[in-house]
Amino acid sequence: MKNIFKKELFRVFSDKKMIFSLFILPAVVMVGVYGLMGVMVKSMVSDVESHVAKVYVQNSPEGLKELIAQSGYLETAEITYLSAESSQEELEGIKSDILSGDVEMLVQFEADFLTKAQNYTNAGDPIPQVTLYYNSTRNYSSAARGNFNSLILAPLQTAMLQNRFGNLDLLTVFNTQEELIINEEKANGEFLAMLLPYLITFMLFASAMGLCVDAIAGEKERGTMASMLLSPVKRSSIVFGKLFALSLLSSLSSIVYASSMILAMPMMMGGLEEEAGLPMNISMSPVQMLELLALMVSLVLIYVALLCLVSVFAKNAKEANAYVMPLYMIVLVLGMMTMFKSGMETSQTMYAIPVYGTALSIQGIVTGEITLFQFGSSVLGNLICTVIAVVAVAKVFNNEKIMLNA
Amino acid sequence: MIEIKNLTKVYKLSKKKMQELKTKQTMKRAVDNISLTARPGEIYGLLGPNGAGKTTTLRCVATLLKPTEGTVSVCGFDTVKNPEEVRKSIGFLTNEIKLDPHFSPKYLFGFFGRMHGIDEATIEARRKELFEYFEITEFENKKIEDLSTGMKQKASIAVSLVHDPKVVIFDEPTNGLDIITARNVTDLLQKLRDEGKLVIISTHIMSEAEKLCDRVGLIIDGKKIMEGTLDELLAETKAADLEDAFFTLYKEHHKEEN
Repeated sequence: MKNIFKKELFRVFSDKKMIFSLFILPAVVMVGVYGLMGVMVKSMVSDVESHVAKVYVQNSPEGLKELIAQSGYLETAEITYLSAESSQEELEGIKSDILSGDVEMLVQFEADFLTKAQNYTNAGDPIPQVTLYYNSTRNYSSAARGNFNSLILAPLQTAMLQNRFGNLDLLTVFNTQEELIINEEKANGEFLAMLLPYLITFMLFASAMGLCVDAIAGEKERGTMASMLLSPVKRSSIVFGKLFALSLLSSLSSIVYASSMILAMPMMMGGLEEEAGLPMNISMSPVQMLELLALMVSLVLIYVALLCLVSVFAKNAKEANAYVMPLYMIVLVLGMMTMFKSGMETSQTMYAIPVYGTALSIQGIVTGEITLFQFGSSVLGNLICTVIAVVAVAKVFNNEKIMLNA
Repeated sequence: MIEIKNLTKVYKLSKKKMQELKTKQTMKRAVDNISLTARPGEIYGLLGPNGAGKTTTLRCVATLLKPTEGTVSVCGFDTVKNPEEVRKSIGFLTNEIKLDPHFSPKYLFGFFGRMHGIDEATIEARRKELFEYFEITEFENKKIEDLSTGMKQKASIAVSLVHDPKVVIFDEPTNGLDIITARNVTDLLQKLRDEGKLVIISTHIMSEAEKLCDRVGLIIDGKKIMEGTLDELLAETKAADLEDAFFTLYKEHHKEEN
């Protein structure tokens, strides 16, 4: 058994292609993808920020120009003022430019904007209007509108209210103060809790997939399996030797996956965290880390056992890949289900469902809500399923029809 | 010593196979009640056309297949009850069983040596001896995939003999080999016989059987038709050579299946 274990390890580590696809490629892909996403998010954000928007203002009320000059809005926009007499044609032209993205915004103040506002005394008197034309599907346009609202219109409104009432506190009936009472750990974990179980469940599977198919179905295809079967070693020893070696290798590969992901995460989140305010940091106690590790190990074991069981029925690697696909889909769906599980009642027994229970438990660990019972039943569920699959693999290894394609 | 008693092997036919064989039967008797005994120090040849059941018989001896009926014992061990012991004493060679192309002959020799539970010193000594005999010492560190067909064959023979088996089973020993490699193989089989090993081979090449085998068992449609030394077979069928003898027997025993 030890001998087979060593051979399997040696086989992978002496093959440059295998090392590349198992350990180097995932790291490169992870860092590359996340890095690229980060760079793109950042450049998109800074591009919008640095873009000088084209804005038309019609019928600008007195004093607006000064307000605009003071607000700093001119740093992000270039304003063209139109008089009240601008032709309808001209306005239509601007609107179609907004649609096509050549112009960002058109602001129309009603005629006699300030006078109307000042003359308001009784209910039913006309209230002046500002109309903003913008294109919400274009980032530049949305940004120009957002800035105009916050930098120009809001201060203008405050100033005019001040004019009307003198004391602005008259407008405030009461203050609301909100105090957050939350579990800090949970709040931090909320976003990761959605992603992590999914990532772990399918990443571990992806790293085990190629290995198992090659070690079982590939060996049958090359005709090297029979030579192993002819040695005076118990079939079960061959099975165990292979399973342990494959588990170790898949674990190593998934560690590479995970660590490169953790490394690359800040690269992506650098842009995202600032913008969306998503808390990405996560703290785990040593016990939680051990629990996570135990879950991942049990997950690797069950994957390897299931993958071997499926591949052993295939005549060659191609066939095995076809058999493995449905399994892959199931794992993807199970992992995904934890992402959108709100609305679904999660009972205690669900934690014992292989793979799915593990995803739930990982989620529980991240949010700090897992109980020992849930953790235990997840691991146990996986292990029981693994044992069943291993026994089945050993059985199949004794089946002459399947092993020799006879 | 190999003792085969009333060996019968029945395969279930899949629908696809039934179409291929153009038969409506769901079962095929690949081997039908064969009994034979082969002793140390002789080369026993199973002779028959393709599909006669030679390979199936040898696979049953090598514990890869389980007999449907009857028993096979090798060196006193039953292939079903004691498969590990049987595998210890046999070396099974065939063109279908290959070496992993990724490894070197040297590594695989060591690997299979350890699988047989042999200590490193003995493995080393066996390797020197066999690699020199097969002239693969030069290539021992090259990957199998980089070797020529002849070299591959030699390496896989060397690896199968790592544990110095008492019984050597060789399915179609010269199939697909060039004249020189084929000659190497037949020389080796004779050498093994002279060392007192039991060699059992299957072949459909009459001249090979004539030259090589001490005793021949003729198999047609899964049944053993006749057995004996070359002279005995010729005398019985009153034929000039083995090929004629075979044809006489074939016409007599082969019936078209409907």
